[in-house]
Amino acid sequence: MTIDYAITVCEGTSCLRKKEAGRFHTLLLEQLREHGLQDRVKINISGCLGMCGKGPLMVVNPGYTIYGGLKDKDVSEIVEQHLVKKRPVARLAVEEDHLYNRFFRVFGDVGFFGKQMRITLRNCGIIDPENIDDYLALRGYEALARVLTEMTPQQVVDEVKKSGLRGRGGAGFPTGLKWELTAREKGPERYVICNADEGDPGAFMDRSAIEGDPHTVLEGMAIGGYAIGSTHGIVYIRAEYPLAIRRLEIAIAQARQHGLLGRNVLGTDFNFDIEIRLGAGAFVCGEETALIHSIEGARGMPRPRPPFPAASGLFGKPTLINNVETWANIPVIIIDGGAWFAGIGTEKSKGTKVFALAGRVVNTGLVEVPMGTTLREIVYDVGGGIPNGKAFKAVQTGGPSGGCLPETALDTPVDYESLAKAGSIMGSGGMIVIDETSCMVDIARFFLDFTQSESCGKCTPCREGTKRMLELLDRIIQGKGKEGDVEKLDRLGTMIKKSSLCGLGQSAPNAVLSTIKNFRQEYEEHIHQKRCRAGVCKALLTYTITEACVGCGACKRACPAEAISGTKKERHVIDQDLCIKCGQCYATCKFNAISKA
Amino acid sequence: MANALETIKKKRAEAVSRIISKGYLSTKRVYVGMASCEIAAGSKEVMEVFREAISRGGLTDVYLSQKGCAGRCNLEPTVEVVEAGKIPVRYGRIDRQRAMDIVERHLKGGQVIEEWVIG
Repeated sequence: MTIDYAITVCEGTSCLRKKEAGRFHTLLLEQLREHGLQDRVKINISGCLGMCGKGPLMVVNPGYTIYGGLKDKDVSEIVEQHLVKKRPVARLAVEEDHLYNRFFRVFGDVGFFGKQMRITLRNCGIIDPENIDDYLALRGYEALARVLTEMTPQQVVDEVKKSGLRGRGGAGFPTGLKWELTAREKGPERYVICNADEGDPGAFMDRSAIEGDPHTVLEGMAIGGYAIGSTHGIVYIRAEYPLAIRRLEIAIAQARQHGLLGRNVLGTDFNFDIEIRLGAGAFVCGEETALIHSIEGARGMPRPRPPFPAASGLFGKPTLINNVETWANIPVIIIDGGAWFAGIGTEKSKGTKVFALAGRVVNTGLVEVPMGTTLREIVYDVGGGIPNGKAFKAVQTGGPSGGCLPETALDTPVDYESLAKAGSIMGSGGMIVIDETSCMVDIARFFLDFTQSESCGKCTPCREGTKRMLELLDRIIQGKGKEGDVEKLDRLGTMIKKSSLCGLGQSAPNAVLSTIKNFRQEYEEHIHQKRCRAGVCKALLTYTITEACVGCGACKRACPAEAISGTKKERHVIDQDLCIKCGQCYATCKFNAISKA
Repeated sequence: MANALETIKKKRAEAVSRIISKGYLSTKRVYVGMASCEIAAGSKEVMEVFREAISRGGLTDVYLSQKGCAGRCNLEPTVEVVEAGKIPVRYGRIDRQRAMDIVERHLKGGQVIEEWVIG
């Protein structure tokens, strides 16, 4: 159905607090019906639109007309004037030229984007990433120009501190403080690094951000360079992201051509250039000290901190290292203001977070939501819930370093502290939805297998400990689990967490520990009943042919192990000694005559 | 000498006029998603269809551009048709054939193909 208008009604907490807002939706519907417009206008409910001071709010698209400070009676005026007579109501319109939420002009009426707020992804999916003109046209590099013209380096640091921004790579260290500590160091030589070594299985936030809008990262880095007094920026990105690398190269070349990078940036005496360093794709190189070693040409292994990179980083010089998403926030903080940014999110976690939503969810994709949005809103409102009528089992956040949260934790708001309290972590933003067809022991094994093989081997707890844990898990999955295995896993995991050198080891047991905490029963079933309720762990499965068998022979033909026998039109039998549990018969049978247990 | 802020404003104005000179003010603007996820789903072929339709002269008054990923992984490749003053039309799961249909039915015929629209 083609529509003429899309109206977004803001139902963020702050707007709803004003008593009128809750009624707007009903009022609008009434008005639209009165004018016979209900089929031509789509109403969308959104989460916070970030203009809380001007609420209650409504946005009319096309045209992105923002109406603010609305009262009940204004609704009829907007419908009559704007929608019927096609004359926007100047009296109620709010003048706003913010950087964030640009996508609203194009996608504002799509349900998927309703609860989203896009700060770092503001240009992703709406501009041509290979053409600097598209970025410049949307106030690109204005933040850089503004700091060079109007702000001292200290003021830039203060603005970032005021924003409350915290590192988006996972640990959540206050960004402003990091900048201040680096700026305070002595000596002329210092470095700015962008950590684009995204390695979590199922995570693609940084890749999409760079592929969709590379300039925002470069602009953020240049502002960082100005703030801490550096002339040299490096993007560390893995070689397996060829398109992201190519777009970064194009962006850097274009920025140089326009005098936005290089000597005398924008005609000032500020010099700053950026180069790209390619990583070979080791997970541990996402850890900052290992990353720095890799850039230096040494083996990518972490070292104990302190000294932190702020004091002694690349080549022993003060180094400011932030993640892609953190950098992408910077231009918005400068233009829309640190105070504005601090108004978004929760008490201790400000702004938005990008998540790569994957797994058993209807709308898989890249989403950016304000901090404080609940996991339930992300999985059900944005993600559209679980497909094929299956039941939700868990949501995994934070990639291999994170944990699996059960249904009872779905109302956890997304912020650093709440997720940690629930037993997972924010991490860099992977979010995998798991339904009843997955086995939690198998999931834990998958993530531990990943961290185990990515362990650099420098410290013993991580190198040996994860290996032993993996052996225990393998045993359980093969049906050879023993009494006490779960306790042993728990004890080992806690020990590894406490004694490993870097973040990789300190978080590697999380997948196992959180599944033990939240899904212990599944472990017990594997060990004591030799049963996998999801039917995933092959060794614990038995395929049998039931009475429903009509003797068609389809399974017999499908079986690669020739384990099925039987005469035509009679019930067939599976020889359990020959069965390799491949599931071919189960998939082939049209009569539901094969049981899997 | 102009300060940095004035310089960037001038650059912005120049960028806008360059974009316009490439036909941005055409009646219809078409955007094809070209992040690596979209390309993996087949968006290069889709882009090619629109490019050819324009270069062969069959399609006029259309501005064609690539874009990054808007985040709709399960619906890729995606294509948007934007017209001034109208709600943009967003198509999902577009392949070569569907792209050709969009050229004929939507861009030339002015008819939105409802069944491929992402709501």
